Amino acid sequence: MFTNSAKLLLAALLCVGCATASAADLYLICNSRVPLSAADVRDLFLGEKQFAGAVKLVPVDNSAAQIAFLERVLKMNAAKYSTTWTKKSFRDGINPPLVAGSDAEALADVRRTPGACSYVTTPTPPDVVVVSRL
Amino acid sequence: MGTTRHPRAYRSRAWVGALLAAGLGHSLVTHAAAKDSDRIAALEQKLDQSLQLIRELSARVHDLEARAPQGTPLAADQRPGAAAAPAGTAAPIPPDTAQRLAKVEQTVTQMAAGAGQHAEEGLATHGFADVGVGNHNAEFPQYRGADVAELDFFLTPRLGSRTRALFELNFEVGSDGNVGVDLERAQVGYQFADSATVWLGRFHTPYGYYNTAFHHGQQIATSLRRPRFIEFEDHGGIMPAHTVGAWLTGAERVGDQKVTYDVYIGNSQRITGGKLDMNNAGNTHGSTIVGGNLGLLLSGALDGLKVGVDVFQTRIEDEDQAPAYVTQVRSYGAYAAYDTDSWEDIAEFHVFNNRDLTGHTGTHRSDAGFLQMGYRAGRYTPYARYERGAFQQSDDYFASQATGSSYYRTALGLRFDVDLVSALKLELAQTHLTDRVIGSYDEALLQYAIRF
Repeated sequence: MFTNSAKLLLAALLCVGCATASAADLYLICNSRVPLSAADVRDLFLGEKQFAGAVKLVPVDNSAAQIAFLERVLKMNAAKYSTTWTKKSFRDGINPPLVAGSDAEALADVRRTPGACSYVTTPTPPDVVVVSRL
Repeated sequence: MGTTRHPRAYRSRAWVGALLAAGLGHSLVTHAAAKDSDRIAALEQKLDQSLQLIRELSARVHDLEARAPQGTPLAADQRPGAAAAPAGTAAPIPPDTAQRLAKVEQTVTQMAAGAGQHAEEGLATHGFADVGVGNHNAEFPQYRGADVAELDFFLTPRLGSRTRALFELNFEVGSDGNVGVDLERAQVGYQFADSATVWLGRFHTPYGYYNTAFHHGQQIATSLRRPRFIEFEDHGGIMPAHTVGAWLTGAERVGDQKVTYDVYIGNSQRITGGKLDMNNAGNTHGSTIVGGNLGLLLSGALDGLKVGVDVFQTRIEDEDQAPAYVTQVRSYGAYAAYDTDSWEDIAEFHVFNNRDLTGHTGTHRSDAGFLQMGYRAGRYTPYARYERGAFQQSDDYFASQATGSSYYRTALGLRFDVDLVSALKLELAQTHLTDRVIGSYDEALLQYAIRF
């Protein structure tokens, strides 16, 4: 029989396990008509890559997973990301990515916008392309 | 003259007033209650209708499922008029249902395309502003005390997938202390690919690193002000910071590195009133400024480092002289910038080989450069800068500019990011003027800069 402390410890470990799994899973998804490779992700979200063939790319940030995405993929913090986009915007006249508030919103944006790409924390339905597991 | 009234009269009036108010209030409440009950009745009716519709649809779905054989999904891509499934394997979808499905599919596709278009349309407006205080004005040292520097509006309308536009409208205080309005940038461009965009209009002349990396809004710059020799023309700069013309720019990946390039041609500038002017309307003699910039963005251990070279040539007419002096200005530059989460270091150097085309003074060589180092420690960024300009005063191009004297300046500063969109900067600087007028002055400057 488990004691109360053991139950608490088990619950805590399960929570940590869930959090770790959640932190580990990040999927780059794109509208099904976007021919994009994993190597282009950084350039896409920093505004350096705006076309994939003839398709105009539309990066969509997902605020629910943004911190993990910035750390893992762009290797920068939120402040640096914001400053980079401000400078880019005022130099090149392009606008920063749209921001979705959740996986569901990011998924909906990607589904309905030709050229859209975003990142989510959960596996996605088959009508969007998972470009890469980040 | 005062009047006296009986207290009973007051009481009677008060009661009448209270009754009137209560009656009015009651009638309003009653009216609102009646309105609510009507609304509830209407909603109930709608709910009943919806439930009825759901029942009908459920019955229809049940009917369709019963007619289709088990385990055979309905063809998702079946279009009206498409051949029905062979008899005995699946029941055909009624034509009206197929038509309705096709119509719904078409509507959804149109909505999706519309939403995609909307993401590319609209007008993004941003702005910058900064105010300051100091024992001198940061831009015009003849003034001291508090100052309003500028209010800069920035527009980047979303025009479509390949057309771009960028406008910068700046309300700034000039050397006369008055507020002036300037269309600092007005660019309309077409993006052929990631590696090629053509801009037409007025843009920041792409020499060196600083002039295109930063603009009028001081909030995005680490330091409190630009190096003096690459200030904007109306703030004491001695290089043509703006060009009106055409600009081809882009970047291309070469292995892990990235090569950037700029090629431009535009109206040659002039000197009038002791300042450079970019000839917004065109010039009267058709001469041009032509230039280019080639950069390399490194990766790996040197990620964040950009190095490059640039060159431009222009023909500057000094309209303050009669007849006008004409100088061929040729500039060669080299730069390096290291920009990471922690460091922002910039070095830039320019050499000027100028020739007096009116034949008075021959050829002249001058140079200017700066080195700035900044370290981002959380919200604090201490920085240091050394800058120097050695300008031949026998060269009419520099001699005729009010701020064309040689100088060197050392500065120590501290930037504090109040939040992501506002920064407080403190700078202590010492400026030495080394020809024309010999002297020096110390500055203690404070600036509050925002973006929105």
